[in-house]
Amino acid sequence: MTSYGFIIDNRKCIGCHACTVACKAEHDVPVGVNRTWVKYIEKGTFPDTERVFHVMRCNHCEDAPCVEACPVTALYVRDDGIVDFNWERCIGCNACVQACPYDALYTDPATNTTAKCNYCSHRVDVGLEPSCVNVCPEHAIISGDMDDPTTEISRLLAREKVTVRKQEKGTRPKLFYIDGDEAALTPDDAPPSSDYMWSYQARGVGRHAPGAHGRGNDVARGLVPLGRKGDAGVDSQRQPEGARRTYDEPSKGIAWGKEVPGYVWTKAIASGAAAIPFLLAGLGVVVAESALWVGAILGLVFMAATGGLLVLDLGRPDRFHYVLLRPQWRSWLVRGAYVITGFGGVLALWMLLEILGFTAATTVLAWPLVTLGLATAVYTAFLFAQAKGRDFWQSPALPLHMLVHAVVGGAAALYLASLFVGGLEPLREVLRWTLGAGVLGALVVMWAELGTRHPTRDAERVARMIYAGRYRGLFWGVCVGLGSLIPLALVALGGPLAVSVAAVLALVGMLVTEHVWVEAPQLIPLA
Amino acid sequence: MRKEPHRSIVERVATMLRLIPDVDQPESGDLGRVVPGTALTGYPPPERWDDWTEYEAEGWTRKEKRSYQIVPTICFNCEAACGLLAYVDKEGGGIRKFEGHPLHPGSRGRNCAKGPATINQIRDPERILYPMRRKGPRGGGEWERVSWDEALADIAARIRGAIVEGRNTEVMYHVGRPGFEHQHMERIFRAWGVDAHNSHTNVCSSSGRFGYQLWGGFDRPSPDYANARAIVLVSSHLESGHYFNPHAQRIIEGKMKGARLIVVDPRLSNTASLADYWLPARPGSEGALFLAMARVILDEGLYDADFLRDWTNWQRYLEELHPEKDPRSFMAFIQALGEDYAKYTLEYAEAETGVPAEKIMEVARVIGEAAPAVAAHNWRAAAAANLGGWQVSRTLMFLNVLTGSWGRKGGTSPNGWNKYLPHFWEEPEPQEAWSELTYPDEYPLAQYEMSFLLPHFLMEGRGRLEVYFSRVLNPVWTYPDGFSWVETLTREDYIGCHVALTPTWSETAYFADYVLPLGHGPERHDLMSQETHAGKWLSFRQPVLREAARRRGEKITHTYEVNPGEVWEDDEFWIELSWKIDPDGALGIRRHFESPYRPGERLTVDEYYRWIFENAVPGLPEQAAKEDLTPLDYMRKYAAFEVQSEVYERNARELSGKELEGARVEPDGTVTTQESRERGVIRANRQLPHVGVHVNGKAREGFPTLSGKLEVWSPTMAEWGWEEYATPGYIKSHVHPDNLEEGQLVLNATFRLPTLIHTRSGNSKWLNEISNKNPVWIHPKDADERGIHTGDLIRVVTEIGYSVNHAWVTEGISPGVIACSHHLGRWRRRQDRADRWSNSLVDIQREEHGWRLRQIEGPAPYESSDPDTSRIFWSDGGVHQNLTFPVHPDPVSGMHCWHQAVYVERARPEDRYGDVYVDTNKSKDVYRRWLSVTRPGPLENGLRRPEVFDRPYRPTRDSYFAKRG
Repeated sequence: MTSYGFIIDNRKCIGCHACTVACKAEHDVPVGVNRTWVKYIEKGTFPDTERVFHVMRCNHCEDAPCVEACPVTALYVRDDGIVDFNWERCIGCNACVQACPYDALYTDPATNTTAKCNYCSHRVDVGLEPSCVNVCPEHAIISGDMDDPTTEISRLLAREKVTVRKQEKGTRPKLFYIDGDEAALTPDDAPPSSDYMWSYQARGVGRHAPGAHGRGNDVARGLVPLGRKGDAGVDSQRQPEGARRTYDEPSKGIAWGKEVPGYVWTKAIASGAAAIPFLLAGLGVVVAESALWVGAILGLVFMAATGGLLVLDLGRPDRFHYVLLRPQWRSWLVRGAYVITGFGGVLALWMLLEILGFTAATTVLAWPLVTLGLATAVYTAFLFAQAKGRDFWQSPALPLHMLVHAVVGGAAALYLASLFVGGLEPLREVLRWTLGAGVLGALVVMWAELGTRHPTRDAERVARMIYAGRYRGLFWGVCVGLGSLIPLALVALGGPLAVSVAAVLALVGMLVTEHVWVEAPQLIPLA
Repeated sequence: MRKEPHRSIVERVATMLRLIPDVDQPESGDLGRVVPGTALTGYPPPERWDDWTEYEAEGWTRKEKRSYQIVPTICFNCEAACGLLAYVDKEGGGIRKFEGHPLHPGSRGRNCAKGPATINQIRDPERILYPMRRKGPRGGGEWERVSWDEALADIAARIRGAIVEGRNTEVMYHVGRPGFEHQHMERIFRAWGVDAHNSHTNVCSSSGRFGYQLWGGFDRPSPDYANARAIVLVSSHLESGHYFNPHAQRIIEGKMKGARLIVVDPRLSNTASLADYWLPARPGSEGALFLAMARVILDEGLYDADFLRDWTNWQRYLEELHPEKDPRSFMAFIQALGEDYAKYTLEYAEAETGVPAEKIMEVARVIGEAAPAVAAHNWRAAAAANLGGWQVSRTLMFLNVLTGSWGRKGGTSPNGWNKYLPHFWEEPEPQEAWSELTYPDEYPLAQYEMSFLLPHFLMEGRGRLEVYFSRVLNPVWTYPDGFSWVETLTREDYIGCHVALTPTWSETAYFADYVLPLGHGPERHDLMSQETHAGKWLSFRQPVLREAARRRGEKITHTYEVNPGEVWEDDEFWIELSWKIDPDGALGIRRHFESPYRPGERLTVDEYYRWIFENAVPGLPEQAAKEDLTPLDYMRKYAAFEVQSEVYERNARELSGKELEGARVEPDGTVTTQESRERGVIRANRQLPHVGVHVNGKAREGFPTLSGKLEVWSPTMAEWGWEEYATPGYIKSHVHPDNLEEGQLVLNATFRLPTLIHTRSGNSKWLNEISNKNPVWIHPKDADERGIHTGDLIRVVTEIGYSVNHAWVTEGISPGVIACSHHLGRWRRRQDRADRWSNSLVDIQREEHGWRLRQIEGPAPYESSDPDTSRIFWSDGGVHQNLTFPVHPDPVSGMHCWHQAVYVERARPEDRYGDVYVDTNKSKDVYRRWLSVTRPGPLENGLRRPEVFDRPYRPTRDSYFAKRG
């Protein structure tokens, strides 16, 4: 077998950025994004000050989470161990960006597809070293076949102590550091900034570069620009050894923006609104025909919105159908797409049969519909869990989160519809208490997601960021107060007006919760 | 080997039904591997360079094949002259990329970031493609396109006029980074009979050179890092400097083999961060540090007695300083040294430098015990920054001399041993002219031209210039006191015609009459040789598209035929201009620009290099013959040739019988001939009264000094009125604590980043996206005292004005010192065009005495032929601090002493980021103050300058003597 890997020998690296630029030249990488870059960390107190350099890039993992997350096999592991990609298959969904624990992928603003270090596989295929290896003045980047014991890389691995980044992720990285520095390899030990010793970021790059998919409007969030306010230097006192990041590549910003929480929300409404009446019907409760129609229509309309948002979120909306037609079956994006399609298809089928007068339609399709509705509601949790880079989304409570939100969304939407559709009126009490139970359930799940012990520091940080940090206002004010406690009180109070207001507030609360849940984990630096 | 994964049935069906395109490329027709199995190699083998096919990275995994002609050339970003391979696309004809040149002896296939970034400069969307002539007032920003013929005719007429009328000092060629051009241009200006050369050296390396020259004639060190056991750097060679990439390779090589790395720098440079010993000596105190180390080495007997006895002029030292001692007793000398340097105790050094005494002692022992493998280097850094900075390199070399490591393996050699400069088929006579604008009486010892005083000299009426060429030079930006340059350059009575020879716009080109585009490095010819290691090599910069076309069989007679637009190359420009100055040969100029092969015909570039390679590079014709190539074709193919390797101890080389013909040994041990006694001989561009020196019973090459040895006592310093500095010593800098006012800090303003090179890299997007601003580094203690935090706007107040910048509070700098990087803070006015990767739009106002520069906007996205200009993500282009520095000419070496004593305060309400204010009247005051401490020449006999010193473009001997009126 062949297994290409890299060693970065920090005994020799001088932090000169030659690798960065040689890579740019080889691949014509656009300004703002990098396949490889050098991170600088400073530590210590004068005159015992130290600056360390760490070359960052794709780790060519043996168990590459990006490959598992890629819905269209654009990313794949070659037989020689190189993690390569075919940009013509890429739909720009960013699942890989979220899956990579090393922040190695970026959006090419020229093509709106994802790219990363591919070990210069086009050179390897003719027997040439990657460009970065060639250019390095110090021969501090060593490439080669680790399965061949005679290569330099094999000999070094046998002799020297090496470290890898985030071993605990189980990705089995093939990028090894000699003299790897703890503070440099642990992103949180020296947080990123928009300002460094000799560089400054004022605008978005990659996906957020002007003219690219993100239309240049998302300047790296969460970063404090020098000369405005805040102090990039003050925090360093609290970091281990006073570590401070003094150079890094520009922040690529948030990969999953507004569309993702948007579609999680519309999907919850769609699946809940359709599932509740059909569940009742399936259980033998007498449900008016018009109530079923409302559920089906709400389901279809919000599924259409979900689909629209899903496509809009893609860097390459023109390739949205690749998800279904170039499926990579381990991807929850693919599985989800098929579930959604099935759900929408069965809903449409039910309508068709109803119109054609097949009275048995409900009896036959109620349970399949409920099942697909549930799957539609819940699969996103597994999609998020596939984002290995984001610890907070690894919570086992996330499927429940999705489920209870479908209950809240469905009940709230149906209750509001009952104001206009007589057939739903008999279900109001059921919907009222379903809504109440859903909101209460959502509160419990939220507590479980935030309040229980977190397996990793990054997950813990996200939780704190939500309830005690930058999102605390939104969280306590909207997610908990306006979106949960007030609706609960109003549900308890009863009466169409109170419950309707509760429904609207619960929907608002849910949308804000999805926003926070999707955005906050993405503010945790991965590199 | 399977590359891409299997496709699902769904996909295969969908592809078959054409619902989705087939994006899997057939794997047929794979390119072969250049090495077997899974092995990888760095470069395509040279025999395939002319027809090399590889997969295109862009669009991969399409497996698009591209064929290239690989043409070697030389990088022009810094001075190191690293090799590059240009990949010339066989179909499109353009350059795809630059990689390293594996056969280049200096760079060995590797480069720094600036090497591959060369492609940015070639494709720069703002580059100048056509000759431009100013319309309206000079500096007004209005330009019109002009033909090369018109421009050349006008310039040639002006120069001809100056020559014919005997105004031979009114032509000036002011160059930043020369290549072999240096020799080439010397030949040209000698042919014209003008004293035209002006360099950047006195804002760069003069003091560093001066200290070395006082010791051993040669004015630069060539450390043998790879074989050293101790490496002492007063520089940051792991990130910048002469010669960054080649030296950085060998420093780390030495370190990996066990050498101890010692770095002296008040700032935590990348180099310092990799050091075994970082000694953050207070700026200017380095001399005290080295002398204390010298004392330890003397006290502990770690010195190399044989080397000192054989290779220093210790007898003279005793005679001059210790007449009471026996001048023939070496032990008396050692004893005298011990006495004379006894005052440099560890405690004294600690007080001066701030480095703990124990650490100084420890490092001194490391150095002493590494003897003679002590590789040391001081190029700019402390030498370039302090009054008396030349004593820094001199005291550093003292450590080399004491440890016997000068010229030894693993030690430090003089640069002249490791650099090869070929000669020409005929040399014009030296010019009979002496420009007092470059070598004025006040600075008889000036290492190089007093280039940064030119505005003051012109304003004082010391002369005028008919034609002023600027080349790879941007004094308005890079030099101190840029506004005085603006005041001068805009005066047509001072400068008749300013010709900016430049491929890109610069702050200096804005104030030109002609802007003539000469090519980037890979668009022109040149020869390069640098002292990168203990060897000697010559490399050939060639216009790669021209060479590619030639190989395809196309007939190219001028490089501009293949360059973009109407971009010329230097060599052809000067040949053409020389013919235009003397079209009929009546002035005797033209004949020097005629072919050595076709008498009377115009010299071509091919013939120029052909002659050199055939006749002036030892070993090259033989090497070429082995490959059945002519020497010229060999260099076209490989562009690099190792003339010699493992060069050590040339001083001990025994002179040949021929060299000793008619020679005799003088009482002082020098070996003289009749010629050397009567007229002197020129060696290494220095005039010597001897041809060698007698050591250990043999006549040997020695060093190009008056004594032929390393001079621990300098007769030149004594003769020219600086007897107190005849020996290595310690001069308190102009920024020594004794010379600072209460509250002043020392500004280190010259440090370079690994990614940038002066203002020459402003046209490279990949370099500027990495580094684009230059905040002021300040220690937390100094910051706290002033209530300053990282990111705060601060005023940095110099003697003549101030700049407003952000603070960067860091533990990476000594207390009492602030630092602000060079390179950044580029600007353009509304009327100017320029590269905009790191360029701010500014408004400049002239007030009663001063100038005010205010930034209107920083770098920002804009539309151009390069989509990346719309992706500029930074908005901070840095602050142009050099404008606020007055000139500080060292009275001895003539070096501009860069360090500034400054006040740092929180910005005032009216201050905005990037503001610069300068009072140029104050600049004049500072200039006069520094001028007043000189000890002017000439000597009684009219001699303007020691003949034993190097003087670039050495004029006739007569010209050395001032006419006394």
